[in-house]
Amino acid sequence: MSRPATRDPGLLVLISLAAGPKHGHAILLDVDDFAGVRLGPGTLYGALARLEEGGFIEPMATEGRRQPYRLTESGLAALRGQLGDLRGAVRAGLERTTSA
Amino acid sequence: MKWLLRLYPPSWRARYETEMATLIDELPPDRRMALDLFRGAFDERLRAAWRRIPEAPLTVGGPPASFRPFHRHPTTLALVALALVAPTATFVILSFLTYELGLTALRTIVEPALISLNESTRLLNLALLAAPFLAFVVALAPLVGIGLSRASTELRLTLSFHARTANLVVIALCMVVGGILAGHIALETLLEAT
Repeated sequence: MSRPATRDPGLLVLISLAAGPKHGHAILLDVDDFAGVRLGPGTLYGALARLEEGGFIEPMATEGRRQPYRLTESGLAALRGQLGDLRGAVRAGLERTTSA
Repeated sequence: MKWLLRLYPPSWRARYETEMATLIDELPPDRRMALDLFRGAFDERLRAAWRRIPEAPLTVGGPPASFRPFHRHPTTLALVALALVAPTATFVILSFLTYELGLTALRTIVEPALISLNESTRLLNLALLAAPFLAFVVALAPLVGIGLSRASTELRLTLSFHARTANLVVIALCMVVGGILAGHIALETLLEAT
């Protein structure tokens, strides 16, 4: 069972941007690096649009033809909330599997 | 590969097309990327259509909220449907002319095709059979609309049909080809059973 722990593109993008602002290609490389998930451009921009619409990320000044994005305060709070939920589930899972 | 961005809704293209095109330029093109862009465009088209339905409750006797997710490019979809059904239609029409109308001169074209089809994979045979039905759906999709209105206390769902010649011609072709194929398969099955 070698599936990545999460495939949620929105969460993966938020985690990537938590390390600092990035443009699309840098996000793809980072997500592949830390999660082993190869997002396609359609999936990536679907996630970026939802996150921008929700106010969780914002575009910065363009760098040539590239558009970098950064996490907003509410994006950081949402990421912490989601990771907290995951941590609860991971802790419960570990406790149950180690005591079994 | 960038031409796939044309499948996205106009508002999406105005906002993201330039940066998505830059990203596509930076990635090696492959089938997975094409599928991802197709899926993304389909998803955004559905979202754009969904946004057009007002969030506020529909008023009694007020205008219906219409939902037509694929209405923007009916002619393009008719051409896509035609391209889908073309191989099967050509084969069915040539077979019909050869074996039903007795144009034996066409045997030199039809029989090698029949032999290679018999020797080919089941997947290709299945694709040829499914093509008219898939093309039918593709040609029909831009013509169908769903309306939602409120009459007294009940919500009313209405289906509407917006006729367009190009799409209707392709739909008719799909029905004829699909009908001939289905009839032929049913007859063969019946003969084999007896």
